[in-house]
Amino acid sequence: MVESIVLSGVAIGCIYALIAITYNVMFSASRVFSFTAGTLGMLGGVLGSLFIARMGMPVAAGFLLALAGGAVLGIVTEIVAVRPVLKSLDQHLYVLSTLALALMVQQFTAIEWSTEPQPFPRLFDIARGEFDQQFWLPMLACAVVIVGLELLYRHSLIGHAFLAIAEDSFAARALGLPERGLRMASFALAGVIGALAGFAGGEMLLAFFANAPMLTFYGFVPVALGGMGNNRGAVVAGLLLGLFQQSANFLVGGIFASVAVFTVFIIVLLARPEGLAGSALRRRV
Amino acid sequence: MSITRRQALASGAAAIAGSFVKPAIAAKEPILIGYLPALTGPSSSTGVGINRGIQLAVQEINAGGGIDGRQIELITRDTQSDPTKAVNGAAELTRGQKVSVVFGPVNSGESLAVVPLLARTNTPQVHPCWVDSLTDPKKYPMCFRNAPTNQQIGGAANRYVMDVLKRKKVAVISDTTGYGTASVNAYVPMLKAKGAEVVYQGNVDAANPDLKPELLRMQSAGAEAIMPWSVNAGFLSRIINTRGQMQWDVPIVGQTTLGSGQTQALLEKPEYWAKVYPNNFRPVCAGADGKLSDRTDAFVDRLKSAKIEMGDTLLWWIALGYDSPRMIAEAMKNVGTEPEQVVAYLNKLKEFPGVYGDISFTPDRHDGYPDDEVVMVEANSLKNGSFRLAPGYGS
Repeated sequence: MVESIVLSGVAIGCIYALIAITYNVMFSASRVFSFTAGTLGMLGGVLGSLFIARMGMPVAAGFLLALAGGAVLGIVTEIVAVRPVLKSLDQHLYVLSTLALALMVQQFTAIEWSTEPQPFPRLFDIARGEFDQQFWLPMLACAVVIVGLELLYRHSLIGHAFLAIAEDSFAARALGLPERGLRMASFALAGVIGALAGFAGGEMLLAFFANAPMLTFYGFVPVALGGMGNNRGAVVAGLLLGLFQQSANFLVGGIFASVAVFTVFIIVLLARPEGLAGSALRRRV
Repeated sequence: MSITRRQALASGAAAIAGSFVKPAIAAKEPILIGYLPALTGPSSSTGVGINRGIQLAVQEINAGGGIDGRQIELITRDTQSDPTKAVNGAAELTRGQKVSVVFGPVNSGESLAVVPLLARTNTPQVHPCWVDSLTDPKKYPMCFRNAPTNQQIGGAANRYVMDVLKRKKVAVISDTTGYGTASVNAYVPMLKAKGAEVVYQGNVDAANPDLKPELLRMQSAGAEAIMPWSVNAGFLSRIINTRGQMQWDVPIVGQTTLGSGQTQALLEKPEYWAKVYPNNFRPVCAGADGKLSDRTDAFVDRLKSAKIEMGDTLLWWIALGYDSPRMIAEAMKNVGTEPEQVVAYLNKLKEFPGVYGDISFTPDRHDGYPDDEVVMVEANSLKNGSFRLAPGYGS
């Protein structure tokens, strides 16, 4: 039983962590919480199934095209739902604009793809075992993203530029950094990460349009618990969420598992509103 | 210009004569039947299947001369699986189009909204929805159901588990939808009344990707049969796949969707579909010899000659659609199109010979489907939309 909790708990936790990172990458570049993060995850699974299972493409081609689809939706999000609201960010209009775009994409997927869950192909033709690819693929994807982002942010010029925008967009612009271009690149990167989450988790979650709201909700929990914009906090909180959710499934089961998850979520936020790994913002008065 | 008495009498006679020919003209007008299927949207697979049967039946009735020389015209309003649109469609059909009868909606969620509305419009209604409260001769005297109730569906599954498979310890699981929770709440007391021990009872979020905890809990409680109630193919396939991964040799008995093509497509291995027994209906099922009854066989031949696809839907949906306008047409052939007359005829309908089943109503019972025609089938015998009866039913 413990093995089962750990395997599926860590795997689903990695998917939540990747969606949380998707939220964070978009947030860092724009200070906007884009609710298209879960939709990007859903789209990764649907596009993977479309290209590989339905159209018969090779796995590598289907994988790259699914990630490209995520990048396109990321850029569309920036242009359609984020850019128009940046001038009045304090009015929280992005809640409406990004949510509206997410719902439109979700409904379009339901109409054009299917309202029933569709099978996601086995990516590697190897025998099923306890440590099956449906568990280790999300773990691998999460590890690759963590290492990749560390390398990008710490060891590349464009990564430094991303950090500069995230730290202080006015100062970065004053220094001549192309803020709009960098923001679009950030949203494309977030799109790739979100689609990767859905693609890697496709064998667990299937290619299903209704995965979008589920990932939007459960992907947001690690963001809030780990501290907004804090990727390390998001990964730790995502893994803890997955493990806790799976333990609750085993121990209390049924709908009470979801109740248990959100009870702990509320308790943690009451105790530490800034998140487990976040730091309280000081406001000058 | 003055009019003489003779001219006035002549024009009066002409007017009277003219009024006599009016019924003859009216008799040529088509009979309007309102039709509220869900042809698009999340619950449209049922409506798409039913629609194939309805269209064929109307074509056949009209080709045979219609009803006393009047053609049937189906006025279709796609509900898009949305109760609000179903209500709008029903209002338009009755007030705008002034249809004689309404068939549908074909999904319970939409019918729950439409049935009370139609009851106020003096329009006879026939629908195939299972939720028990969707017929009530006192509240909805013009509403008839030509399909089983949830009680009949659950009763058949319970009888199969208890009387045929001889399993006493049962696990009952559903998703968290209204249908799922209502089914568990209705069927668990029925099982207990029959002497079963319900060792597990749970409502689980259909999006939960890992159902192993639930099945382990069922197994450790000593469950001898799993009874899932959900129309979500993803949820049902996860139950079947998890049972297969656990190599747990326990029968799964329940909702018709267990045998759908969507569920089949999500199975990790084809052999996992063994020992899965969904609900179905005896007249459209093959016996142990793999043969359909003569009536159903002739119907399948008609579908083939009309080039109607059966492989991507279920035969009982097409048969149900086929029977519905024929039953309405029979009532109108006998008593005309006046609402009260149609209802009076249906109130006394006895064993209308449908492909889907023989339908009977009484003034006190508007649920027309016979109990013993609701059966269980072998999911992995699916072929051209029909199944073989589950072991234990005989031929």
